[in-house]
Formats: sequence, C-alpha cells, structure tokens
Amino acid sequence: MATIEKEVLNQPNLKAITAPTLAEAVEKRDRLTESTGNYYGVKELSLKKADPIRYERFYSKLHSAVLAARESARYVAASPGSREMGECLWGVTTAEGDTLALSLGFLSHTAIFPTAVRYMAANNYDVNDGIEDGDVYGVSDGLTGGVPHPGDFYSFVPIVIEGEVVAWAVGINHLMENGAPVAGSWATFSVDTFMDGLVVPPMRTGRKLQQESWWKAIWERRTRAATMNILDDKMRLAGCAMIHEATHKLIDEFGIDYYKTAIREVIEESRRRVLDNMKSTMVPGTYTGAAFRMAQYKGLQTIWSHADKNTLIHIRASVEPNENGLKIDTEGTSRWGHHAYNATPGASDAAVFLGMINSFSHNTKVTAGIELAVQRHYPKGSILNPDNEFTSNANPWAQTVTLNNIGFGAVSRAMFSFGYLEEAFCVDGNWGAWQGQGTAEDGTAYGFTNFEWLGGSSRGAWCFKDGEPLVWAAWSQMATIGDAEEFESTVPPMFYLGRKLLPGYFGAGKYRGGPGESAVHWCVEPGQHIGITRPNGGLSSTTSVALGMNGAYPGPSSFMISARGTNLDEVNAKGLAPRDAREMLEMTDSGLLKVDDLKVWKTDCPELSMEHNDLFVDAAGSSGGWGDPLDRDPMAVIEDLDSGTCPDYDFVNEMHGVVASKNTLGNWVLDTAATEVKRIALRQGRLDESVDVKDWWTKEREIVQNAAFFPEVGLMYNESLSFDKFRDEFTSFWNLPHEFNVLEG
Amino acid sequence: MSTTAPAEADTGDLILALDAGGTMTDAILVKPDGTFTVGKSISRKEDQQKSYRDSVADAAQSIGLSSEDVHKRLAADVYCGTGMLNTILTGDGRKVGLLVTRGFEDLTVMEGGLSYLGQSQAESLHQQLHKHTRPLVEPKNVLGVSERIGGGCYLGEIHLPAGHVLIPLNEEQVKVGTKKLLDEGCEVIGILFLYSFVDPRHEHQAKAIAEKIIEDKGLEIPVVCSADVAPVAKENSRLKSLLFQCFAAEQVRASLLNVEKAARELGFDGRLLTLLSYGGAVNMDYTRLYETMISGPVGGLIGAQFLGNVLDLDNIVTADMGGTSFDVGLIIDKRIGIAKSADIAGHRLALPMVELDSAGQGAGSVVWVDEYKRLHVGPESAGAAVGICLNYDRLTVTDINVALGYVDPDYFLGGQVKLNKEIALKALKETVADPLGLDVYEAGAGLLQIINTEMNDLLRTMIASKGYDTHDFTMLYYGGAGPVHMYGFAEGIEFKDVITIPWAAGFSAFGAACAEYMHRYDRGTRALIPNQSSDEHLAKIAKDIHTTWREMEHEASTQMKAEGIDPDTLTFRYGVSARYMGQIESFNTALENGVMDGPNDIQTMIAAFETMYSKVYPEGAKFGSAGYSLTDIHLEAIADKPQPKLLRHDLSSSEANASAFVEKRDVYHKDGWISFDVWEMGELKAGNTVKGPSIIRDPMTTVVIPPNKEMYIDEYLILHYS
Repeated sequence: MATIEKEVLNQPNLKAITAPTLAEAVEKRDRLTESTGNYYGVKELSLKKADPIRYERFYSKLHSAVLAARESARYVAASPGSREMGECLWGVTTAEGDTLALSLGFLSHTAIFPTAVRYMAANNYDVNDGIEDGDVYGVSDGLTGGVPHPGDFYSFVPIVIEGEVVAWAVGINHLMENGAPVAGSWATFSVDTFMDGLVVPPMRTGRKLQQESWWKAIWERRTRAATMNILDDKMRLAGCAMIHEATHKLIDEFGIDYYKTAIREVIEESRRRVLDNMKSTMVPGTYTGAAFRMAQYKGLQTIWSHADKNTLIHIRASVEPNENGLKIDTEGTSRWGHHAYNATPGASDAAVFLGMINSFSHNTKVTAGIELAVQRHYPKGSILNPDNEFTSNANPWAQTVTLNNIGFGAVSRAMFSFGYLEEAFCVDGNWGAWQGQGTAEDGTAYGFTNFEWLGGSSRGAWCFKDGEPLVWAAWSQMATIGDAEEFESTVPPMFYLGRKLLPGYFGAGKYRGGPGESAVHWCVEPGQHIGITRPNGGLSSTTSVALGMNGAYPGPSSFMISARGTNLDEVNAKGLAPRDAREMLEMTDSGLLKVDDLKVWKTDCPELSMEHNDLFVDAAGSSGGWGDPLDRDPMAVIEDLDSGTCPDYDFVNEMHGVVASKNTLGNWVLDTAATEVKRIALRQGRLDESVDVKDWWTKEREIVQNAAFFPEVGLMYNESLSFDKFRDEFTSFWNLPHEFNVLEG
Repeated sequence: MSTTAPAEADTGDLILALDAGGTMTDAILVKPDGTFTVGKSISRKEDQQKSYRDSVADAAQSIGLSSEDVHKRLAADVYCGTGMLNTILTGDGRKVGLLVTRGFEDLTVMEGGLSYLGQSQAESLHQQLHKHTRPLVEPKNVLGVSERIGGGCYLGEIHLPAGHVLIPLNEEQVKVGTKKLLDEGCEVIGILFLYSFVDPRHEHQAKAIAEKIIEDKGLEIPVVCSADVAPVAKENSRLKSLLFQCFAAEQVRASLLNVEKAARELGFDGRLLTLLSYGGAVNMDYTRLYETMISGPVGGLIGAQFLGNVLDLDNIVTADMGGTSFDVGLIIDKRIGIAKSADIAGHRLALPMVELDSAGQGAGSVVWVDEYKRLHVGPESAGAAVGICLNYDRLTVTDINVALGYVDPDYFLGGQVKLNKEIALKALKETVADPLGLDVYEAGAGLLQIINTEMNDLLRTMIASKGYDTHDFTMLYYGGAGPVHMYGFAEGIEFKDVITIPWAAGFSAFGAACAEYMHRYDRGTRALIPNQSSDEHLAKIAKDIHTTWREMEHEASTQMKAEGIDPDTLTFRYGVSARYMGQIESFNTALENGVMDGPNDIQTMIAAFETMYSKVYPEGAKFGSAGYSLTDIHLEAIADKPQPKLLRHDLSSSEANASAFVEKRDVYHKDGWISFDVWEMGELKAGNTVKGPSIIRDPMTTVVIPPNKEMYIDEYLILHYS
C-alpha cells in the first residue's frame, strides 16, 4: 500500500487515495444490492420519510437539469435526427453509471450507461491516469460501452468532488455517418468489428469541458460527414456541460452526504414503483414469442469467404413475471455470425427496455430502478451475447427491435388479459432508412443517412379500434419524421417525388393496423457518383413479431424498390410521377413508367449507384391488425375503399368478404346480403381447408425429422438447438430424440 | 395609489386595453397623466361585445366617467382575445381546400408524426397516449399538383442552386384541382409547395390560376399561399400556419371587427388593435391575423419590456401566475425573446412567438395526493370558482393560502366575495394532511413550498436553458397570484432585483396598452458564407440582404399605409437568422442597423452572431471553422402609437402613514405561526419601505413579505423586494 501511495503522490493526474476507486464503488453497489435485494441495500426511504418535500425538491432540480440540457443543446445539432426527432438523449447517473434522471428522447439507452462506466472501473481508468472533473469521454463500442451500434455515439462527463467521481453527465445521439466501408449509420455487410466504422472504446477526448484538438481530426479523417458529426459532438458536450454545472450546484446546496443518500433512495423508490406496476398489470404466466430476420450475404461476400452465406436469424424470448419483476429469457436465439446483425448485452438491453419503460416507468421517476426489476438472460454465444469479441455490431437494431416487440407485445397481451383494453394494441417496430455516399461534380465528397422512417411508424390495431398512421416510435417517446425540406438538403442529388401513407400497407383484421409510409426519391444530376444502401431495419420480408392479434394479419414488412434507367422526363411532363411504392409498381405494370432495371428489395441491398432520373422508393412503418378480418364492420371496409386507405376491391372482397359496387358518383355501396353470403362461404372455405391437428403434426414431423428445410432454415435450427432450453422444447414437441440435430443444407 | 386617482376632465387622450382571458376580461384605462384604472367582467365567449362593454364600464365608473366619455377620448384601444384559439379548439372554422406538391397529399394526416405536442414527459413516455390532433381540413380536400423546386443543399452550391425548377408547375392540374375544391364547397383555398420559402413563384402562379377560376365563377373565395403566410423552412410547420390562417383567421377577424363595432358605437373613432404573438399591435385588417394566436400572454411581456425601458432594465425574467397557469418569459437586452416555432393546441406552427414556458399550475390549480402518497398540483383548475373556499369541490392552491392566513377571506376582490376559511382548512386536512400523517398547517406550508420550488425550478430552467445567469436579470412577478407567491418563487435564486407592481392582476392588459404598432416580415434564404469567402461573394450576399430589406421596407410602408399609418413615421429594426454551416437550427441575430453595403457589413453580422451564440452555449459548442449560413432575413416595422406613462412621484419617508396600516394577522408561514402586519396598498406612498413579516392587501392581489425581508416602493410605485 505504501508503494501505491508514493506512486500516487508522484503523479498529479492520479486520484487521491482516500476516495474509493470506481472499481470499489461498483463492487460496493453490487454487493449491497445483491445481498439485500434492494438497490444499494436501501431498505427505508429515510430522506423521503423524514422530509418528503425536500426530497422531491432535490429530484425536481436534478430532473430539470437534464430536461434543460436537451432543450438547449439540441439546437447545436447538425442532424435532423437530433434536432427534429427523438434521436438524442441526456442523462445523469451515479458514479457506478446507474441512471438518476433522463431528458426526453430515446430513453432505453438508460440501460446501457453502466456498461462503459463499469469498463472504465474494471480497467482502472480512475487510477491510471485519473478521471478529473469535467473530463470528456467518448464511446461507440458495443462490447466495452454497450452502445447498440457505432452509429450511436455517447459522451460521458464525470462530476468529481474531492477526488471522487460522484456522478456522470451523459449525452447520446445518432450520427448521420460513421465511417465504415458501407457509408451511413449502419454498416451493412460488415463481417467483423473492423468493418463497423468509427468504433471507440471509452476514451478521454477532452478536458475541462472542451474537446482536445486531435478529436476534431478524428471526425474529419475517419467519417464522411465531419461537419455534421462535429456539431453533434458539440451538441452532446454542451448538454453534458449544463448537467455538470447543475449537479455541482445541487451538491453545493444539499451537501454531498444528502446527495449520496438521496440518489440511492431515488433509484430504490422507482424500483419499487416499477414492481408495483408489473404486479398490477401482468397476469402470471410465460409469454413467449419468436421473430426472424434474413441476412442475405451469399454471393456478395466473395472476398470474405467465411461470411459468404445466408443466415436466417431466429430471435426467441419468453417473458415471465415473478416476485422480483420480470424475467426475460432469450435462450434458443440464433448464434452470432459473420454478419452485421450481432448485438451485445448492451444493445440487447437497449431493445428490451423500449417497451419496459413505456409500460412500467411512465408514472414514476425514470431511473435505473427499471433495470433492477427486469432480469435478462442472453446466453453466451448467442447473437445477443457473442463469445467472440470481434463480431460486427454494425446493425443489431435490425434484429433486436423484434426482441422489444416480443417483450412489449407480452405486456400488451397481459394488459388485455387483465382487462386494461385501452392499453392493449398490436405492437410492432417496423422501421426503415437509407444511407450512402457521393462525390459531387466538383469533387466534394459527402456521406449521408436519411432516417425519416425511423422517426415514426403507424400503431397496430387496438382490441377495439383501428391503428393510426405515424403516431409513435417504439424506440423513442418523440415520434417525428422531420421535414422533407430538411432531409432533402442533406443529400445533394436526391429529391422527393412523394412522402405519404402507403395505401393498403397494414395488417388486416377486425380492426386494421395503421397504414405505413412510403417515399419516392428522384436522382437528378448525380455528379461523379452517388451510391445508396438500405440497412432495412424493417426486418426483411420475414415475419417480425406483430403477428396480428387474435386472428388478424401481421403488418407487412418494409421493402424498397430501385428503378434504374427510366423515362421519368416523359412522366413528369404529364404531371404523373409515382408518389409511393404502390403507384410505382402499378405504373411500371401499366407501362406508363418504363424502367430498364427494376428491383424490389426485401433484404438489405448492396450499394446501388444511381444515375440521372433513377428512382429509389422505400416503404416502412406498417403495423398489424387485431381480430378476425371476417368480423370487420363492412361499412369500415367501404370507408377504407372510398378514402383510398385500402383501394383494392378484389383484396377486401377476399379478405373481409365484403361485396360492394361503385355508384354513379364513384362511391362504393355495400351489398349487405351478398356480403353475408360471401362471409359464410369464406368461413366454410376455412373449414374445408383445415385438417386435424394430429394429422398436421404427423405430416410436419416428417419434414422436421427428415430435415426437409431450406438450407437457411436448417442452419437456423441447428444453432437454436445448441441451447438446451430450446432443444428440450423442440425435441419434446416433435417427439424426437433429445440428441436430434438438423443437418446443414 | 394611481389606480384610485380621479380622471381630470378635458385633459386629453386615454388609452384602453383589454385582456379577454378564459375567466375574466380585464380592462386597463390609462389616463393622460400615465395613471390608470382597472376594470373587470366575466368573459363571455359567445358575446364578446358584452364582455367588452361591461369591463370598460367597470373601469370607467371607478374614475367617474361613462363608457361613452371614455371612448370619445380614446387615442388607442387594444383588445387581446382567445377567439382564434377557441376556433381551433372547437373546430368551428372555415371549410378549407388545399393544393400541395404532388406526392405530399397526406401531410395533414401525417403531421410529421408530432402526436405528443403539449404532453408532459410522463405522458409522452406512455405512447398509448400519443394521438393526432383533429385535422383542420378534410383529407379528401387536399389535392396534389405536379411541380418541384429545389432548395439547395447544406454543403453549398456543389449541386443545383436553391430555387432551381425541377418540374414546372402543371397548370392543368391546378385548374382541375381548384374546380374540384370549389365543387366540394370549400370556403378558402390554401397552397403549399415544397421550398416555396426559397422561391414562391409556383405558389403565386397557382394562386393566380385559382383566383381566375374563382372570379369566372363569380365567387369570393380567398386563395392563400404558404409563402405569404409563413415564408420559412419546414413544410409541416408552414402547413399548420397556412391552415390556421385559412381555417380560423377570417372568422376571428369578423368577431374582432364586431368588438370594434361596439367600441365605435360607444364613440371611438379609431381602429381597434390586437397583439401579435411576437409582440406588436396591428389592426383588424392585418393580413396574417393568425399571428395574433396568443395575444394575452404577450401583453405581459410587452408590459415587462415597457417597464424595462422606463427603469432601464436590460434583462428581465417575468413570472405570471394567474388562475390556471404559471407563465415564464424573458426580456433580453430590452427585447422580447422570439421562438422560431410555436406549439399551440396540438399543432406546431412556423409562427414566430414570444418565448414562453408554461406550467399548468395557478392559484386555482387542484392539489391532491395519489395512492403512493405523492403530492400533485394541477393541471385541473377551479377557474372562476376559486377553490373549495368559494364554489368548487376540490382543494386548490388558493384554499391553502386562505387556510394558512396569507389571503384574507373577507377581502377577496376587495371584500365583494367572501371566502370560507374553515372549509378550506377542513379540505386541506382531509385531502393532504391525514393521508400523509402530517399536521394540517405543516401540510399546507409544505405544499406551498413544493409549489414554490417547482415554479422556482421553472424559472431557473427557463434562464439556464438559454445559458443566462440569474444575476443579470430583474425578476418581475405579476398575475393575480404572482405577488402572493413571489417570496417563495424567488427563494434561493439571486437576481439583480425582484419587483412587482400594484396592478399585478391587470398587468397583461396594461402590457397590451404598451404595445407598439409593429409588423414583422421574414424572408427565407439559403446564403452560405464559407470561411475564406472572396470579397466578391460577400458583396453579393450583402447586396441580397440589402435588397431584401429594402423590399420589406417597401412592403411594410404599403401595408401599413393601407392601415392608416403615415409611412414617413415608420422606424425599422433589422435582423437575420444565422447558423454554422451544417447546423439545422438557426439563431435569431439582431443587428444594429439596416446597413448592408459590402463585405465589412457581413463580417459585422457574423460578429453579432458569434456574440449572441456565446451567450447561449459554452465555448466548446462554437464552430466558426465550419463557415456560416443565413436562413432568414427579417425586418420589424414600427409605427408611432400613444403609450401609457409611468408617473414619477415625490418620495415620502420610508415609514408608511398610519392610515396604511390595517391590522395584525397570524399566518402559518413555513414552520410556525407568525404575526404579520397588514397594509393597504392604496394608502402606501412612494419612498415607503414595508418590512416583513407583512402583507400588503389590495382588491386585486395580496403581496406577502416574510420575516427579514422588505418591500421598497420607488418613485414609479414599483415594489422592490429584498
């Protein structure tokens, strides 16, 4: 010990030996929490009990500091996502990284804060070479910082009192470009972390609330949108600086002892409230769900031969209420792979807590209390917790959103079961975005991301009414798609020809989902080059999780269309440019729009070079229905036909059994009697097609037993069967030997 | 004090201003010597003429005049109402048809996804509560027209310039669309095309075509372009401004003209004025009348600005506590802060609006404890029912003030209304004290402390979020309940000075009387100023700004002349909205003058931007090396209008006259009973200092001065708290 003290004294940057180290603080927090079941061993809310008014005043000040930070700092931003949308967040945490208060924004990042702090603690950042008040740390690494993907960037600013870290101010936002081989925010087609772009483990980048000079050079040399990224970096720091100042003032006013006690009580208080909420809304039982996502790499990864294969990702989770809150178990989920979709526990948490905060924290202080009430199990080796430290984490959202949907959907089903009908709806998180890089005619190079369809989506049907268009975002409390006039200005040669709801783009049911959205982007004089990719977070063409509730259909997945070599000048001269994906396909079918190379992409597309008059059309944000489509009020179907919400008569005739015709004014008129007859016929058709479950099971078992699957499906089963829980369920259900395996291919 | 001084006959012009709030219509009648009197009446939404007449009569009567006498002597008559907001909230506006850029027909349904406006953080977190606002136009009456104009890109002119026509306007589609909207019975047609704020030519071209069709049909249907209503970026907000103008403005104009008619019938021979959301007064012929949406709260800020000019206060933070809300605003460098967009009734407008932060907590707010023993205040309010002590069924903030002794139950509105203290006390015990296991008075004092702390935090946040230091600000409290709580709101925050006024309850109406006659003009632009820009480039930008300002000056002169103003009397204020290249938010930058002759003037403008930015953000947030970008050029045109004056009084001794003393009263203040001296506001003189513990009572409000504090009355009868 004497030797260490001497070393400390000789190095001014090293912390005073009298204050606990970060590692000691974390160890104490964990020991007290685990041994008592209460956060930090807090059994009595002594400060709240003794003087509830002072206690609330304390928290009010802390909370207002982070709210104010966001409201002021976001105006420094360069990216529409931070300025206009909910794609940023500020918070203040304990020394151990546990959240105390959050601003508006995408709140689920709260669960990740401890990861970076614990990494710094475990690696003695505060001992060598010291953490000082007002230092600035940057983090974008999934493994050491928990960051969902490198497109999200975190800034941490420590608040230090007499050599002891007592809090952290944290700022986060989504970057427009992060310098990977595939330009944009999500490095699709990454094979490992070295292709993910600017990945930064917790790293000091500034002191005294100012970034150091070299840090600007990193943005300039390692990303393609330096101006935007530097301004976003300044935005995060500006907010952290405000929180830093406010927290110091708070401690000055209340005293460090009060502060240290109060922050523990605040988290324990909210943990208890969250538990109460869970108990009062969740019917006991096990809620299971599954979702799938295609990674189509075969033929595209010829340089990286070990990655040149397709993967069907299986996400599996169960949610089970217990006396300590909820347990989420993901055993059976696919293993990690050489693709861009691997998550880390931090990234998985970011997804899980989207729905948990919405459901259980909205009426209490949003703190780390919610994290203590949700036990998570991400099996080592799975795609949610790889046992390889170099996996790519470029685009985990593309599959982890389904994890949220399973959890959020479980809560929705529980609420329905409990009778909270106004809380229950069909949960989905169908998002989209596009990104890329270009070089203007004068040689100016740039990168970009347009994530308007990440800003908001339709809401699925409720159990008593239709869903609504563009009304929420599962990942943020602030659903906003921004303005076309702002996004268009960020991508020089691409111009909007449409930005609207997509007719018929929802899951049908007794109550239908809200329609999703579609945009048409037109390439005009692209300069030397423009290349576009789409990370397709819309979960591909495979089923996500909004299967439709109680007999309804799921929301259709997101997709995109590339149309290269068009006669758009002729079409524009007629004033008839396509406005959405549906119109685009109808116009090409009719021959009005001529296209040399038309492709509909249901998986991620490789970079597409766009030429003058090429079109890029995307669709995302749809949602599922609720209840049997044959129970839908026929007049609601007529209204959908008349309003253009669902304009395809042949479709609604078969889906809803509604018979109608147009009158002389062009309005649809219901034929009630024929509708009755049609519905009876459709119901009879269902009965005619149905088979005995035993027969179905026998036939399907043969397929399983013989492994008569597509190669991707076989591989998926093999991966999931490597986890015992899934193996038990699977072999038991199909009555197969426990050691059963599906042969690849 | 001034409010009771009689008016002298034949002494010149009077100024009248009214604030028609949700509950009361306040009138301020300013006499030639600068003194004034206050009148009140119940607000009648269905008959604003009557509210107007009653309130003016009440004010006139107190100085021995009739309404007719007053109106014949009026030099200015300002009326702030809630008609526009009510039209939006009730959906009782005109039938609107819209022509939009083809492909954007669903704009009004999508609303950019903004389905949580006006919600608290807790509410917006629970996304089941997100919902769209009721559209102001039927979706079937939104029609697309083929056209496209580009807006330029953030990297500068590396691609097509801003204003480049990508697709010419399809005139045939305009014709077909207009006819269809007319067939649908639309009463007004709005036009919104992308980037019209950069180049309005397509909108204007379509307007001309539509107007020709309307004329040919012999109809009188207005056609309104977004570029004329709100020529600023972001189509979703610009759309809402256009819709407000189309949906509500014209019929509100009719109701305001109706009030004007009442004034004329009473003998007024001038024009009735109303207030813009960014602080000027206009008459009812003002084209963009939707900009008068929040005229009431604006009055208070204008009043604060007026006081700032009289007392030479550069920076003021205002706190207005009325019956239902607590509004905080800022005056910076003697100017009212302007926000770039406004959230009103679930809509986000591209409307410049005074910067106001509001909490739904006023004197009438309901106080309650939830099942987890958490205390809540508001947002429900008793409104005119005051509280359980008068005519409401739940405990309110006023009930607590009555129960603890701050507010005299026998002197509410000067004794015209009697309050029941015992019932208030009983409700406090049952609603708060018993559930929390507290003594009833401790509970009441604790509640007031929470309310005061929350408001205190809102004040801090409003100032801190803008990056300002409270030591640079004078704190001004008004509204009926402002002076009651000012001791608590100000606690722990060090201001330069803390002041209130004897006429705090009618201060918003007073502010309306102080409003200057002003129009504001904004013109969107996309001027880029990279570092190392050539003098030639800077000269071109300077010339563009110069030309724009001259055009705006001309437009202002023409419009205001039509409103009866002599253009030669106009004065102008100049400014730009600027940002670092790459940023997407611009910052309002006021400039000293309208001189923009060459590169040096551009450098002066950049220096003004940097100075302004440094006041808001830490040094690390500056980014001059990125270059600069201008997004908006604006101008304010100001015409002369009679203003009230604050009379300067001779200073009396620091001790108040014995006649001002009313009684001693026990008040439960913070943690125990204290005997407060009670003083009559009207008997206090300039120069007096009232030491705490004291209460100054007035028919309109109550001023609380705790122990070890005092209130000094200056030569303008402004009360200084220290």
